[in-house]
Amino acid sequence: MPDPLVFLMGKHPAPLPGELLYCKNHMWCRPGADGVHAFGFTAYAVRLMQDVYFLEWRVDPGLVTAKQEIGYIETQKATSGLYAPLAGRVVRFNPELLEDPSAINADGYGKGWLFELAAETGGLLDVAGYYAHLEVGWEATQRMLKGQLNAIED
Amino acid sequence: MSRLTVVLSQAPGKHPAKRALEESLVAALLLEPGLEVSVVPNLYDLGPDHTGRLFLESVKGDLVVLSWLYPRAAFWLLDRDGIQGHPGETRLKPPADEEDADDTPTEDRPPAIGPAGTLPDRHIYCLDLRDFNKAEPYVQEVRRIAAECRDRRQAKSAARPAVVQLGLGLMAPEPTQASAFDAQALLAPAGRRWYPVIDYNRCTNCLECLDFCLFGVYGVDSLERILVENQDQCKKGCPACSRVCPQQAIIFPEYKSAAIAGADTGAVGGLKIDLSKLFGGDVADALAMAVSERDRELVNDGREAVGAAVGLPKRQEGKPAGPKDELDKLVDDLDALGL
Repeated sequence: MPDPLVFLMGKHPAPLPGELLYCKNHMWCRPGADGVHAFGFTAYAVRLMQDVYFLEWRVDPGLVTAKQEIGYIETQKATSGLYAPLAGRVVRFNPELLEDPSAINADGYGKGWLFELAAETGGLLDVAGYYAHLEVGWEATQRMLKGQLNAIED
Repeated sequence: MSRLTVVLSQAPGKHPAKRALEESLVAALLLEPGLEVSVVPNLYDLGPDHTGRLFLESVKGDLVVLSWLYPRAAFWLLDRDGIQGHPGETRLKPPADEEDADDTPTEDRPPAIGPAGTLPDRHIYCLDLRDFNKAEPYVQEVRRIAAECRDRRQAKSAARPAVVQLGLGLMAPEPTQASAFDAQALLAPAGRRWYPVIDYNRCTNCLECLDFCLFGVYGVDSLERILVENQDQCKKGCPACSRVCPQQAIIFPEYKSAAIAGADTGAVGGLKIDLSKLFGGDVADALAMAVSERDRELVNDGREAVGAAVGLPKRQEGKPAGPKDELDKLVDDLDALGL
């Protein structure tokens, strides 16, 4: 199993467990033996969003295509559509988050899992690959966030 | 003195800041004289049997609706449910766009078919709770509306032949007491719904939505007017028909892009950053998006994808996508960053 890594977002550490696979849309994937895998937000995504106020799935469990918009999230700092990381079949959404989404912040790699998806995980990154993806994107992400904030103040 | 009915439609979910605004606003409105204040769950989610909806249907006089929806969305949503009236004009504008409110190029629009039937003699004012994060501006605006409605009634009764002494006929219809409805039932949780809302001040009855949607959501009434006939046959999350509509008359009140959710102009939805691009959102032209969204729902339903072969009018070929809203521009900017 690869060693865990920690990506530094400025001074804020985003831990990345070694046993997980990662998607470029900042979700982690915990592979399941039966081809059904759990997905959740990486610490990087959670740090950008901060406290989650509202989470909603806009599809019922069933077939999804890669990048299909499947949900919506509103947090202390951000709003976003949520998109399927892979093509496959959503088996179920984490029912506890629908009552109270705070586990995404409290235990993002555990109880804060988002959904289970039956899918082919061949295209996903390992922890080193995701770390490299974050490194490449970090400057641009900061520019984008700053640009949005400027646009709001205009 | 007749009272003005004010209804607050709650935000879905448990957003603490939204709940706090709702509570402080209701508390402040209850102290105002001449108002009949009620709270219902999210307007969009109220099914035909929900007590909140029955209450709204029972209100006969002027009505103020405070919701977390664009006013245009709220107004036409009520219209579809038979809660009709003349649109009351609010002076409440979000701080950002004070003087430029009316820059929609209305002259360019072909004539719309307008609301069905004869509108009852009352006004419906829809205010957007996302415009301000404190109660005061809303309370002031409701006060102003209450005065406006009172003046309008008085002017009308003055114009009518007097039967004043009898005190009959001139009074505005008294608003139904919300207390006639069970308070708990009024606020009973409503399951989330998803369906389109037609803005008949834009709709030209071209029936392109009827041809495009393959799930039987649309129909026509006895006068051959387009109608959202089977709301709950709509596919959760799918806004495809609104992308096909040449007049942008189809609103999905809870869709994330402001133009589809019923914003008048390209308003940015709140003061939060949008992470959709970072989380994998994709942008394509409107028609291609509509076709792929529809195919996805067809396949999910166990049917065959039809691509662009069904229900697309020829005259849309080569037509550029509708005007981009602020969010679209934002996404383009993000594209340029090469994330």
